[in-house]
Amino acid sequence: MVVGGGAAGLRAAIAAKQAGAKVALLSKVHPLRTNTGLAQGGINAPLGADDSPEAYAGDILSAGDGLCDPSVVQTFTLQAADAVMWLERMGVPFNRGGDGRFDRRKFGSNSRARSLYVDDRTGHVVMQVLYEQFQRERIPLFADWYVTALAIDSARCVGVTALGLRTGALDSFGARAVVLATGGFTRLYLPSTVSLGTTGDGQNLAYQAGLPLMDLEMVQFHPLAYAGGNSLMISEAVLAEGGQVVTAGGQPIPNFAGSTRDKMCMAIQQAAGEGAPVSLDLTLIGSKNLKARLPQTAELLRTVAGLDPAKDLIPIRPVAHRPVGGIEATTTGQTPMHGLYACGECACTGLNGAGRLAGNVLTEAVVFGARAGEAAAAYAKSAPAASFPAGRLEEEKKRLEALVSSEKSDDTAGRIHAELGALMDRSAGAIREAAGLQAARGQIHALKERYARLRVRNESAIYNYELVAYLELGAMLNLAEALVVAAAARKESRGGHRRSDHPVRDDRTGISHTMITMVQGAPQADTRPVVAL
Amino acid sequence: MQATFSIYRKQPGQGSKPGRSTYTVELADDATVMDALLKIRDEQDPTLGFRGSCLHGYCGDCTVRVNGKSAFTCTAKVAPLAGKEIGVEPIRNMPVVKDLISDWDAFLWDKIDMTKPWLEPNGSAADGELQIDDKVMARVRQAMSCHYCGLCDEGCTVLPVDFKFVGPAALTKASRFLFDPRDQATTERLHILERPKGIWDCVHCFEASEHCPREIAPTERIMEMRDEAFKHGISNDQVARHHHSFAASVKRSGWLDEGRLALESEGLTNVKGLMKLLPTAAKAIARGKAPIPYLHHKRPGADKIARIIDKAEAKEK
Amino acid sequence: MKYAFYPGCVSRGGCPELYPSAVRVAAKLGIELDEMKDVACTGAGVLPQYISDPINARTFAKAERMGLPMMTICSTCQGVFGQANLRLQDPEYRAKINREYLADEGLEYHGTTDIKHLLWVVMEDYGADKLKSMVSKPLTGLKVSPFYGCFLRRPPEVVTPTKEYNARKTYLEKLIDIVGAELADISGKGKCCGFPVLTANEESSLGMTAKHTGEAKGKGADCMVTPCPLCHLSLDGNQPRAEQQEGKEIGLPILHMPQFLGLALGFSPAEMSLKRHIVSTMAVESKVNMLA
Repeated sequence: MVVGGGAAGLRAAIAAKQAGAKVALLSKVHPLRTNTGLAQGGINAPLGADDSPEAYAGDILSAGDGLCDPSVVQTFTLQAADAVMWLERMGVPFNRGGDGRFDRRKFGSNSRARSLYVDDRTGHVVMQVLYEQFQRERIPLFADWYVTALAIDSARCVGVTALGLRTGALDSFGARAVVLATGGFTRLYLPSTVSLGTTGDGQNLAYQAGLPLMDLEMVQFHPLAYAGGNSLMISEAVLAEGGQVVTAGGQPIPNFAGSTRDKMCMAIQQAAGEGAPVSLDLTLIGSKNLKARLPQTAELLRTVAGLDPAKDLIPIRPVAHRPVGGIEATTTGQTPMHGLYACGECACTGLNGAGRLAGNVLTEAVVFGARAGEAAAAYAKSAPAASFPAGRLEEEKKRLEALVSSEKSDDTAGRIHAELGALMDRSAGAIREAAGLQAARGQIHALKERYARLRVRNESAIYNYELVAYLELGAMLNLAEALVVAAAARKESRGGHRRSDHPVRDDRTGISHTMITMVQGAPQADTRPVVAL
Repeated sequence: MQATFSIYRKQPGQGSKPGRSTYTVELADDATVMDALLKIRDEQDPTLGFRGSCLHGYCGDCTVRVNGKSAFTCTAKVAPLAGKEIGVEPIRNMPVVKDLISDWDAFLWDKIDMTKPWLEPNGSAADGELQIDDKVMARVRQAMSCHYCGLCDEGCTVLPVDFKFVGPAALTKASRFLFDPRDQATTERLHILERPKGIWDCVHCFEASEHCPREIAPTERIMEMRDEAFKHGISNDQVARHHHSFAASVKRSGWLDEGRLALESEGLTNVKGLMKLLPTAAKAIARGKAPIPYLHHKRPGADKIARIIDKAEAKEK
Repeated sequence: MKYAFYPGCVSRGGCPELYPSAVRVAAKLGIELDEMKDVACTGAGVLPQYISDPINARTFAKAERMGLPMMTICSTCQGVFGQANLRLQDPEYRAKINREYLADEGLEYHGTTDIKHLLWVVMEDYGADKLKSMVSKPLTGLKVSPFYGCFLRRPPEVVTPTKEYNARKTYLEKLIDIVGAELADISGKGKCCGFPVLTANEESSLGMTAKHTGEAKGKGADCMVTPCPLCHLSLDGNQPRAEQQEGKEIGLPILHMPQFLGLALGFSPAEMSLKRHIVSTMAVESKVNMLA
């Protein structure tokens, strides 16, 4: 059973089916509506004549700011080229140069142009091709189903309980292996660039089952988010195409384009801190090339921000974007629990260290997604039979029923979420410090108490999105608390984690992963060393 | 700012009659209709049903009509509309499950499933990097920029009369494979697309192209597939007879022998089909408006026209 | 005002009432028509583009030689021409067509031919005010539903390439007003009549026929007016079959646009060949005859 219909989940399902397993995929939104469409700029692969897995590894290690697990990086970089070629073979229409061969963009701190791309819709197109191959494999799809709990029997995951939104029925799905591919959690920040459903449901399920979440404090902020109400993410591809980030006087910020994401965010934050509004200048690209090479960017800026990038400057600010941390998993997606796998953005393998290299998220989804699917299939084949724990479904039904009450309340899930999002942006944002994190922990605690008193007023079973939003909020509150504890535990600055009270990188104590485990209902911090090659 | 919304409501289930609910809500100045819906559901009416995902206009999930015009709730700004009550309802031709929650399976996903919507690669990854003209890939990219918003299917003039028609969205998706040089299933695809309710059921009214917010021009994509079928030999018998008769007539005389076309479309040995035409034919003959088949004069220049057609056909073969 | 006149196939074939009524109306208005004889059928959207573009380019080249803009009396001809002409504006494509197909005959298309339907000619080139002054028999009290035919409304880049042309989407309503008749507006006025799909899906086709004529009837229309003879074949010719399929009576007369205008210009129903229709136009004729 694969949970989550984005790139990683689809790839895992395809791999599991091809490895001979009986597979089904469950997703709370249809695969073609997932957050995968957010990845626009490109997908990394060491395919160029001037490139190699070693060079690729070097860039990853560098962006990871000393926290990457080198063996993980090695495994990944050796498989990336084939994984991306497979995508092309299955139909991704990558942009090609005049010679008919792949064109590549140079993103962020990549030392060479190694991102293959599809206009500025790479994720959207890769997602379609994955869904096409998923359909070709005739894998049953349960779309509009929300997983409410893992079913665990004798320290082994044996399935899930899930809410079918169309019928309103809660059902149990027995599976010898469950692969979590539920995506990120950055909706717990407001503003954020991500879809409505990017609420960390999988991470929360694993966390509540006692599994460790790794490197949660490493959150990627996207430097180029529209500063207006909608915080539209603007693809970094615009920088590769000639766009520039400028301050009020029209001065471009020096050395911007070749940095890591976190350095870009710092630079913008600094310029903005000096009182100057920071903007993205795409006028240099010209309307012809904007239409030809960045069509979606141009379209969305028009519809969302009412701006014409050929003429207008676009005000920007860094906004919470992607997690680097997540469920601790190996390069074959294994978590510490038998029968439970994780891949994609909900997992953390140690590949990205303290900062994901720009252009890596889609590559990661397909490389580790495939490996997780294969491993899950192999396990399912050899694992002893199991049965769904008796009474578990009934128990879950009762738990959900108890949430419903027509009792009036002044408090709402939306208000709690808004407050959570604001406090995370403020205290666990691009720059953190001890007092703020401490206060945040207390504030989250207060929000959790309010949440515990909240009830779901919609009694209807069918498409009860109020109930789903309520459950998603519960996940976000848990993850926010865990994140804040992780951020407090790392007393240095590294990669995406910046502390104003510990502004320097400390290699004596910092080269270890932060592990958060739920102990007696509260997040407890621990470490796991980075293993040298 | 304050805004009042009148929103389409419908309970799930066959028998329920649709109605409307009105809500007034306080919003930020740059709020979208999605912001309003989220706030209404959160604070006023938790039973209000609506869809949404990406929040930025690129996933196609939240298509609705706002004041009668198609829109995405996540990009439709409230401020320009806030002076009067704002109407929100599902798009046309769209079966509804509940309120604004559409049945995308019946409307779109099931139809895409019918068209063999995956590549059958004619090579393997071992072949390495292929050299392909980017213009060819650009054509595929255009069709794949579709975010399944459903607006082309909304505008379609066939769907209200025949909901089983596969529809422009699914056909546009199919076109992306037909013109991909890496696919090896062209003949099979054409056979699937030429089945009843497929490409020949399109009336090329261009509503789909007019409705598409991404200039994918679904109608043109469907016409391209029909031209491709013509090249390969049309596999739908009825349509094939019609098209070949038409082309033969223009080749013969420069213009259309309608009477002959009507007969040859049915098939000269298809007694049942020909009988079907009798009542209309009889009336037409009585009123002197039946073009007598076969008694059809050649236009001047007919042979020059025939030469062009022969040449064009030879080139495409 | 002089045009290279392209009557199309159906106005001389399945709708022979259209050709004479159009010619008479043009003459009355002083619009000179130089009929193109040595030209092919447009292909009507049935022939694939790789065949129809060359034969239509030939037609355009001939009009260019005549030094005249073209005029059509069929929405389908107009549409196919308009779409082909837009493609032929691309210099590379046009050069290819010229080289491979037209050169044989010593022809060359330079991309300058303008093509307008009679409806656009009277509303744009002739002028609504001048037209109104020519109305000698206002069709007072006649309730009329407009039906354009898809290709007179879409695709936008062909029909309404700039904002100035948006009015084209209201010409029939304006015409109904100019001749003094009453508008019975229908939501289906810009939709498909069903004709293109008659072969592939007869049920769908007749369903559309019934839908639009039924809607007009429901609005109290005495008749429908259309600028496309293919729509006419579907709405008039197939109306009895549509009635049978849907199990309901319609009996709505369908007028060609020139017939409709012609009656207001003072032509008799006989001069407009109203007796040729499948669905009897008697009710319209009586109403018109009763007018002063």
